[in-house]
Amino acid sequence: MNNTAKHIIRLVVLIILQTLLINNLHWLGIFHPSIYIIGLLLLPATLSRTAELFIGAAIGLIMDSIYSTAGAHMAACVAVAYFRPLLICQLIQDANRIGTQVCSASIGTRQFVILALLMIVLHQALVLFLEAWSFDHTGWLILSTLCSAGVTFLLAWLYDRTQR
Amino acid sequence: MRNLLEFIINHSHLLLFLLLEVVAFLLITSRQSYPQSTVLTASNRVVATTNQTADNIAAYFHLRKDNEDLNAEICRLQQQVQDLQNQLEPLTEQPNDSASVYQYAHLRYRSIPAKVIDLTTNHQQNYLTLNKGTQDGIAEGMGVISDKGVVGIVGRVNERFALVIPIIHTSTHLSARILKNGHLGFTHWNGYDSHQIDLMEVGRHISVSMGDTIVTSGLTPTFPEGLLIGVVDKVRLEEGDNYYTIRVALSVDFHQLRYVQVLDNPSAVSMQQLVDSALVNNE
Repeated sequence: MNNTAKHIIRLVVLIILQTLLINNLHWLGIFHPSIYIIGLLLLPATLSRTAELFIGAAIGLIMDSIYSTAGAHMAACVAVAYFRPLLICQLIQDANRIGTQVCSASIGTRQFVILALLMIVLHQALVLFLEAWSFDHTGWLILSTLCSAGVTFLLAWLYDRTQR
Repeated sequence: MRNLLEFIINHSHLLLFLLLEVVAFLLITSRQSYPQSTVLTASNRVVATTNQTADNIAAYFHLRKDNEDLNAEICRLQQQVQDLQNQLEPLTEQPNDSASVYQYAHLRYRSIPAKVIDLTTNHQQNYLTLNKGTQDGIAEGMGVISDKGVVGIVGRVNERFALVIPIIHTSTHLSARILKNGHLGFTHWNGYDSHQIDLMEVGRHISVSMGDTIVTSGLTPTFPEGLLIGVVDKVRLEEGDNYYTIRVALSVDFHQLRYVQVLDNPSAVSMQQLVDSALVNNE
């Protein structure tokens, strides 16, 4: 399948799943997984950084209008879009190994796990803290971040397995 | 000048990143001072339509439960009609001044039935979307109740949909009363448990105990007096505190909320005008 179409379809499917499924599940009030971030995480490594930042901002704004959170998702997505290419460069010393695909088969399992974990936790923490807009319940927010990020990471990992 | 240009070109990604983050933070801060930004409502129409479609499909899966609820509601209403007829009978036989007072109390609020097509309960700032809008007579600031008790206040409305800010929203404060002794307080949601709410500003000299009923105060035109909010679940008084920490178990289960009524108080506008004119005169 055409690579661009694949990335776009994956993003759209993840956003629809997020809106219609995840948003309607109430997991003990502590799990708020943002699974759509997987679509951003798996964008091609060769994507121009400017394009990546704008894609991040657009996806963030879409999620903000769905969740009525004005800006929290946008800030988090833009941060992921900015730090992802930097982290990929840091993780992969051998420049020849950077392919277009970001998956454990092409960049290595250890590198993929580090990249996915850092990006998902960064995104989840930013969304929850910016939405709360206070440090009143820091402990609870950290717990919620870890639980939600765990679920998202698990899904990213399973998706990566199916792509092998 | 050349150095500046070089700096901008070398750091274009960083600058774009910072610019986008600044935009996001401006959105967040504008939301803090004015909870429903215009960005939100403009796009909420698209989102609300999508949610309604999804809800239409999902509705088939709980038709049985809905039928049971509706039957229960019909029974309750029939009972109420019977009770009211019983009350009315002695009054119609001997018409006097008190009859008109009763009539007035009933007529003050008009209720508009609506269906919940989208709601969140697991955020700090929760929202409900209703399938009725200005074309059905809904306006901003109207109270929203269900058959179980108080739900929230209409925050934003367009032609076809209304966005409700529920009592489980961290910036909602509702004037409330302890039913047994009439003492006032206000509600505040802690942001975590959608089954519970806190009652604030109840002084230590007032007697409060578990199981006390908490109702609306009737001091604002939004809700009539005596609507159920919940029942006191936990009371704590720390050494040296002037106010109780009161946990109230909400009577409305937001997870199961499907049908609500929007309360239209025709005298609300004239009441507000009176207050406004008094404030202007004081200045």
